[in-house]
Order: sequence, then C-alpha cells, then structure tokens
Amino acid sequence: MKVLHRKLLRELLAAKGVLAAIISIIAVGIGCFIAMSSTYDNLEYSRENYYRLCHMADFSIELKKVPVGDLATLTEVPGVINVLPRIVFQVTASLEGVEKPLSGQAISLPARENAPINGIVIKQGSYFTDQRQEEVIINDAFARAHQLRPGDHIQLILNNRLQDLFIVGTAISSEFVYLIGPGGLVPEPESYGVFYLKHSYAEDVFGFEGAANQILGLLAPEFQSTNRVREILNQLELNLDDYGVFSTTPLAQQSSHWFLKSEIDGLKVSATILPTIFLIVAALALNLLMSRMAEQQRTVVGTFKALGYSNQEMFLHFIQFGLLIGLAGGLCGILIGYSLAGAMTAQYRNFFEFPSLTNQLYPRVIILGLLISVFFAVLGTFRGVRSVVRLSPAEAMRPKPPLRAKRILLEKMHAFWNSLDFRWQLVLRDIFRNRTRTLGGVLSATVGAMLLLVTFSMYDSAFALLNFQYDKLLLSDIDISFKDDHDYAAYFESQQITGVDYAEPLFQIGCTLKNGIHEKKVGITGIRGDARLTIPRDTAGNRVEVPRTGILVTRKLADILQVQAGDSIELIPVSGDRAVRRVPVMKIIDSYLGLTVYANFQYLNRLMGEADSLSSVQLKTNPRPAVTRQIYRELKQVPAIQSVNSIRDQKDKLQEVLVDQMIVMIVVVIVFSSLIFFGSILNASLISLSERQQEIATLRVLGYTPSEVGSIFLRESFCVNLPGILLGLPAGYWASKGINIAYDTELFRMPFTIGTMSWVYTVLLGILFTLISHWPVQKAIQNMDWLKALNVKE
Amino acid sequence: MPASDADALESSLHHESTILLSLKSISKTYTTGDVSVPVLHHVDLDVYAGELLVIVGPSGSGKSTLLNIVGGIDVPTEGDVYFHKQNLSQFNEQQLTQYRRRHVGFVFQFYNLVPTLTARENVVVAADISASPMSADEALELVGLGNRADHFPSQLSGGEQQRVAIARALVKNPELLLCDEPTGALDLSTGRMILEVLGNLNRELGKTVVIITHNSAIGHMAQRIVRIGSGTIAETNVNSQPIPASQVTW
Repeated sequence: MKVLHRKLLRELLAAKGVLAAIISIIAVGIGCFIAMSSTYDNLEYSRENYYRLCHMADFSIELKKVPVGDLATLTEVPGVINVLPRIVFQVTASLEGVEKPLSGQAISLPARENAPINGIVIKQGSYFTDQRQEEVIINDAFARAHQLRPGDHIQLILNNRLQDLFIVGTAISSEFVYLIGPGGLVPEPESYGVFYLKHSYAEDVFGFEGAANQILGLLAPEFQSTNRVREILNQLELNLDDYGVFSTTPLAQQSSHWFLKSEIDGLKVSATILPTIFLIVAALALNLLMSRMAEQQRTVVGTFKALGYSNQEMFLHFIQFGLLIGLAGGLCGILIGYSLAGAMTAQYRNFFEFPSLTNQLYPRVIILGLLISVFFAVLGTFRGVRSVVRLSPAEAMRPKPPLRAKRILLEKMHAFWNSLDFRWQLVLRDIFRNRTRTLGGVLSATVGAMLLLVTFSMYDSAFALLNFQYDKLLLSDIDISFKDDHDYAAYFESQQITGVDYAEPLFQIGCTLKNGIHEKKVGITGIRGDARLTIPRDTAGNRVEVPRTGILVTRKLADILQVQAGDSIELIPVSGDRAVRRVPVMKIIDSYLGLTVYANFQYLNRLMGEADSLSSVQLKTNPRPAVTRQIYRELKQVPAIQSVNSIRDQKDKLQEVLVDQMIVMIVVVIVFSSLIFFGSILNASLISLSERQQEIATLRVLGYTPSEVGSIFLRESFCVNLPGILLGLPAGYWASKGINIAYDTELFRMPFTIGTMSWVYTVLLGILFTLISHWPVQKAIQNMDWLKALNVKE
Repeated sequence: MPASDADALESSLHHESTILLSLKSISKTYTTGDVSVPVLHHVDLDVYAGELLVIVGPSGSGKSTLLNIVGGIDVPTEGDVYFHKQNLSQFNEQQLTQYRRRHVGFVFQFYNLVPTLTARENVVVAADISASPMSADEALELVGLGNRADHFPSQLSGGEQQRVAIARALVKNPELLLCDEPTGALDLSTGRMILEVLGNLNRELGKTVVIITHNSAIGHMAQRIVRIGSGTIAETNVNSQPIPASQVTW
C-alpha cells in the first residue's frame, strides 16, 4: 500500500464519527435510489414480460352487441393487427358459507386454447376441458380468498339464472394485475372476482350466439403513440357505430394498467427526487468536513508541495477521501436499498398479481448507484479542498491568517446586541461568520422538515379522500345495481327488505358529452332532488343541490370539455335513440374518482324518454352484523341484481390498506428525516467543536461547566435548524401541492390538505431531532481534553 | 564589507566552483486586499555547488521569503532566479513542481511531518515521487534514526522529528538542501546535533546546504554567511575557517 493511502486510511479512521454521519446520509440516499430503481425494474420487467406473455390488449371497445362476423373489417383499419370478440358481463356469485353476495366479471374465452389477446396464466388446475360446458376458471386471488380449488363448485347468476359451475382451474391475467371492482380503489379479492367461461357457453347463457359485447385489439408497434391510438379508436368507433359503442378504452386508460403504470411511474420520479435530496445534503456535509480537514492539513499540503508533489497529486490524494466515503456510502446504500427493494416488492405482491414478481439485483442500478454516490462525495470533497490545494506551498505553510473579525450586522444594532448575553453573542457571531456551514444546516433542516410535511400531507390527503368519498359523497351502506333498468317497483321492493332503513334510486346512463371539439364518454348519475345518500359537493366540501334541469360536472371533466357553469353542451346517449340533446352545465363540483356527472333523477329520465327508470338503489341499513347477513341472504335471492356493493366494507378495506401503507411510509420517512437532521447537525457541530477547541478550553478555564459550553452549541444548533424547519413548512406545502397536481388524472385525484397537526408534528419532530442530535455533541464536549487544547500550536 | 569587495573575495574563493543558483535583482511584495507589504528589494545572490551557506537575519527580514523563492515554493514579484542557468522565474507551476521534486530538499523549523505516518513512511512520501531516491532506511540511518523508523512523530523528540525531516529532504538525493530555522524549535544540544547532520551531509555527500536562521552563531560553521536585513543583503562574509557544528554554541 502506498504511504499516502495509509495516511488516508488513518485520517479516515480518526474522523470516523463524523464520517459515519455523512456515510449514513449517503447510504440512505443511495438506499432510496437502489430500492426505488430496483423496485421500478422489478415491476416494469414483470409487467413487460407479463403483457407479452398474455398478449395484453392495446385497446378494448365495449358495446351493446356486435355480430362476430362483422368484425373482420376492423383489422383492415391501418395499425390494427388482431381483434378478439368477448362476452363480458358483471355478475354475482354465491358460495356456500359466504353470506355476502359476491360480484365479479364473467368473461368468455376460447374453449380449447388460450385467448390470442389477454390470455390467462393457469395457476392451479387446468384450462377448459371437453368434459362439460359449465366450466369456469376463476381468478387466483378470489380462489385464495375463499380457499377454492379446482374441482370445487361456484354458483353464478348468469343472465338472471343461477348456474352451478365446475371450477377447472385458477388463473391470473395481465389485464387484472390490479383488480378492483366498480367504485373501488383497492383490490378486494374476497368480494370481487373474475370468472372465465367457455365462449360457447357464454354465448348460450347470455343469448349472444355469434355475437360479443367487447372487442379487444392489438396494434402494430408503430401505431402505439397516444394520438395514433386515439385516431384508430375513433375510426373503429365509426365502423361500429351501429352496434352501440359504450366506450373505447386505450391501454393507457385501462383500469389495472393505469394503477400499475401510475405506481411504476411514481417510483421512477421518487427514485430521482428523493435520493437527490439526500445526496445534496451529504455533499454539503462532506464539503464542510473536507474544508475543515484540508484546512487542518494546510501545512501538510504546503510541505508535500514543497517536496515536489503537484497540485493534481494533492487533489487526487484528497479526492480519494471523497472516493472512499462515496464508495462506503454507496456500498451501505446498496445493502440497504436491496433489502428495502425486497420489502417494497413483497408489499407490491399484496396488490399486484403477477406470475412472478421477485426482487432482482440489477448490475446497471448498482453501478449507477455507486457512481452517483461517488460523484456526490467527490463533488463535496472537491469543493471543500479546492482552496487549500490551490495555495502556493509557501502560503499553505504559513498559518491561516486570523479571521477578519468584522462586526456582523446584528452588532450594529447596538441596543439589541448589548441586550444579549455573552453566549448569545458567541452563537450569533459564529452563525453569521460561517455562512456556508449555516446555509448547509438550514438547508438540511428545510429538507428534513419538508420530507416530514410531505408525508404527513399525503396521509392527510389519503384520509381526506376517504372522508370525502365515504362520509360526504356516498353515505349509503350497500349499493345494489341491476342488470337492466327497472322501474320504481324495484326501489320499493328494496325498501321493504328487513333491516333497510332508507333507500334511494339512482338512474345511470352512458353518454358522450361534447363541447365543440372537446368530447368525452362518461356516465351520468341521476339522483333525487332530496337525495341523502349521494351528496354532490363543491370544492369547499359544501353540499351542492341537484338542479331540476341541467347537469353538475366534476372539475376535471369541466377542464377536459372546457366548460364552465352556465355553458350548454351536447349529450349523446350510447344506447337508445342516440339523438343529440343539449343540456346546460349548472355547476362545477368536486370528486376524486373518475369523471362524475350528476343530474336530477326525473330530469335524466325525461331526457332519455323514460318515466321512472332506475339502474341501482342505494341502501342505508341497520349496521348490526346479523341484520346485514339477513339483507345479504335476501339479496341473493334476487336474480335481477348485477352486483351488491358493501360501501361500508369498501371503506373499511381502503382504510385498512391506507393505514398499513401510510404507517410504514411515515416510519421510514421519519427515520430518513432524522438521519438528515442527525448527520447534518453532528457534522456541523463536531467541525465547529474542532475549530473552536481553544475557545471552549478558555471557557472551561474560566469556570464554565460542560453543559454551559454545550448550551452554546445547542443554541447555535437551534438558531440554524429552527429557521430551517420553518422554511421546510412552505417548502413542504409546495412540494405536496406539486405531488397533488401530478396525481390529478381522469381516473383518480387526491384532495390537497395538510392538517393542523401535520404542521405541529413536523415542527415538533424537527425540534426533537435537533435535541437528540445534540447529545453526542454534548458527550464530545464532556470528553474533550481541554488542557491539551490550550497548548495547541497555531 | 562593500559588495564589490565581497564579490572579489567570493570569486577568489569559488573561482573553481560552479554557480548552482543565481538570484538577479529579486524583489517580493505581498499584497493582501489593499495592503502591499514589500519583503525583498532587488536582492542579488549566488549559491555555489557544494557550499554550506548560512543566511542570517532577524525576524521579518525576508530571509524565509528568500529561501522560499530559491526553493521554488514561492515566486518573486520581480527579478530572475537561475538554477543551472535555467530561469525559475519563467517556470510555470508544473515546472516548479518538477524543480522541487528533482533538485530541492526542504527542512522546516517545525519539521512539518505528517502526524499519521511513521518516521519511515514520512520519508517514503518523498522517496515515492523521486526519480532516483535512496532507500528510506538508508536516509534514516544517515541521520542516526535507523532504530526509530516505525515510530510516529508524536513518539519522537523534537530533535528526532527534525532528523526525520532531514532524512525526508535527503532521500530524494537533491542537489540543494534548504533549511528554514532548522534549530529554531530545539534546545542547544539537540540543535547542535541537527547542525552536525547538516554539516556531514555537506562535507561527506557534497550537498549544497543553505541554512537560514536568526541565530548568528550558526554562521560559524558556514563557508559563507549572508546577512539580510529589511529585505536587502546587508553583507556577505566568507568564512575561511568554518568550525565543526559540534563546536557551535549560542
């Protein structure tokens, strides 16, 4: 080993405390990078492989009924490679021993071989056999939730008839990586399933001989840009105009894909932003440390240069400090990151259903992580040592000229300055004279507090969403939707069910809303003027009365259609006469899921030429479990019901998932944030301590106790960190706002809110971290050999 | 003594010696902010190969600056420095580094050893960058520290540390050994020991040794004594009968 390397190692060992603090910040930054990048790769590669394996559809078209024979022309549309007709229906299922009516989608598949588009992957059992028509393959998560195995039976109500089906296998499919039921946000495999039926059987039971109600399609790779997909879908919609197209869904808007892709894209953004924050803080801390180290080694630098070492050789020597610190931080970060990626990937397995989702080690990510770590460490070191290494040898060997003892600005405010005690004066002078160090400390505290506030704000927003959706907007306990539109009798019957306290009808239609060139396919929900179970709200959360005429449009849809309250737009129903109606937009409302439009129940009926048609009923029920079970039993007897949705269960499930996820996230962020505070304060204080040894020794000679000396450092720490924490509040506010805007999509939005307690917790935690970080500094003061410090040669 | 007489004396003494280093009208002014401090004014000096030259002057007289310029660790504001007829004043930083690396060994008042390296390692630091170094152990033997090679500076006395510093200067086999107050931090007997080492290096290895000191007594061991005051050379004396370092006293 070269002598200079030995010097390097010995000096690194001597500064191990401060280095550990810096390395831990780097390790956390790189850990975040590795964890998020690896998890991103795990998910993205799994997604790509899975989509390829199943031939994931590039689009789907939902329509009323189309003869399969008429689909041949679709592949003539440029870009369309292949299409697959399917029969898809929302169905209810019943299992022995399960009281709650279960719902799901029945999907037809070719009887003999896997579907060429959106194929399935068998997990247990087999594909369909020739032995019977009434075979079903169920999605694996549903099977697991109910302990169903091949050979078991399940009863589905298909086209109003209860059918007993033999389970031949369980399967997963790329179109349901994230399977959620209508109105749901998180998968509820115990309530909602996918039931694959033989196509011929589906034709038979649904009365769809030679017909389908969904078309899946594959596009050529060069036709997959958003605009081209949209153009192709418009063309296909035109071709299928006679068959009642309800909706055209490009892959980008397919529910499972959207949730999965949002998560993957979010990881990519986080994998860039979060580590950068940590590494900038680490580079700053290292900059301080290396400036101090180089300054302490002024004479050594001068001597080496006098011996004939060049500037480059000196630079290289000091840069090796950064290099080693970067490597150490990088390696620790890789270990942290890899384990964290394992945990994150395992967490994703709870939500996303893949054939295999495992944590892999990606050499590209590892090497990149190391390079980033080394880059930031070397950057910090370079800036720190540059001035000393550049000195001429003669100048370097002279002791550093004493600081220009200029008065700080505060000293010119005589009355204020003189009112301060001596220790405060020391503190303020040190803060204002070491501006880089002060700024570094303020920035670290700002970043730490910002991270905390952003996380708390995400927690607040998630619960505000929960609160809005289930305590303000949807106040029912159970929603029943019917297969076809029914008249008011269905509503009256629902009201008669034992245990139902109150019921309200809903009338839902699918339509295209059009304002000039802007148009969107949406659903309109007709609610009664005196509705108590669905209450539209404005942005402030206040109730918006449903007007007698016209529609209420959610903000996001208003943006898409470029409409304002008072404008008139075109409404074209997807079924029925499909004639254009003009409707006024009465008010803009707020909602966080989908593109909601509300209208008066009677108005919508009139508009559609109906009298008292309804498509679903909302129920407010007695919450006692026995009563709920009784209601479920009764509902199971009604074949006309398409789905029974327990809003109460949905809320509980969402709350459970959110709390679980958020608590893990909050704990991780609190640990990360504390590391930033800890690393930054420890670094700055220990450097300050080594610079001011003589000052401390003098104070000790004068009779100051270690805690009195420590209080000077603690005050200084607070003077730097408290403004940092306070600056972190607006920074956190704007960062949260930015995240909120990033999540503003057609499918899903988050309310933007930061609760009072979040502000309070952020400040309190910041103060707590500052206090905890002071502890090792106080220990160092206590253990300092101040007599030796008095005899230091300058 | 007038400069012309000194010149005559020098030429008589060194008519056969080579001029190793020649300073022509060297001036140096330090500027910090608005303040300019002139340190050297038009200094002319020749250093002959193989001589032991002592430059004596009080604190602040500019002697350290002169040594730094000779050693290529500082550059003059005006004037030229010739080393083997090469003008150091026109050297860029890289060339000056090479000059220090190949030709000059430094010994400082406060030794300037790296505290985290052992005696041997401190010497190896210099040997590592040298084209034809002697071995570190050999250099340490020459200064009588062969048995202390594995000690850290904090485990050595002041005199021993200074000898390590001399070994470090020596290990590169430089033509020129520049010593800045080498005994300044030492007591008489230790200081004398250091001077003996330097004297031996000059006598036995033929190294050109330049010592700067505020201590006039050291001049007695030199072949030539240059007195410097207020940035100019006040007088140059040739010592026809230098005494051994062991007899130097102050």
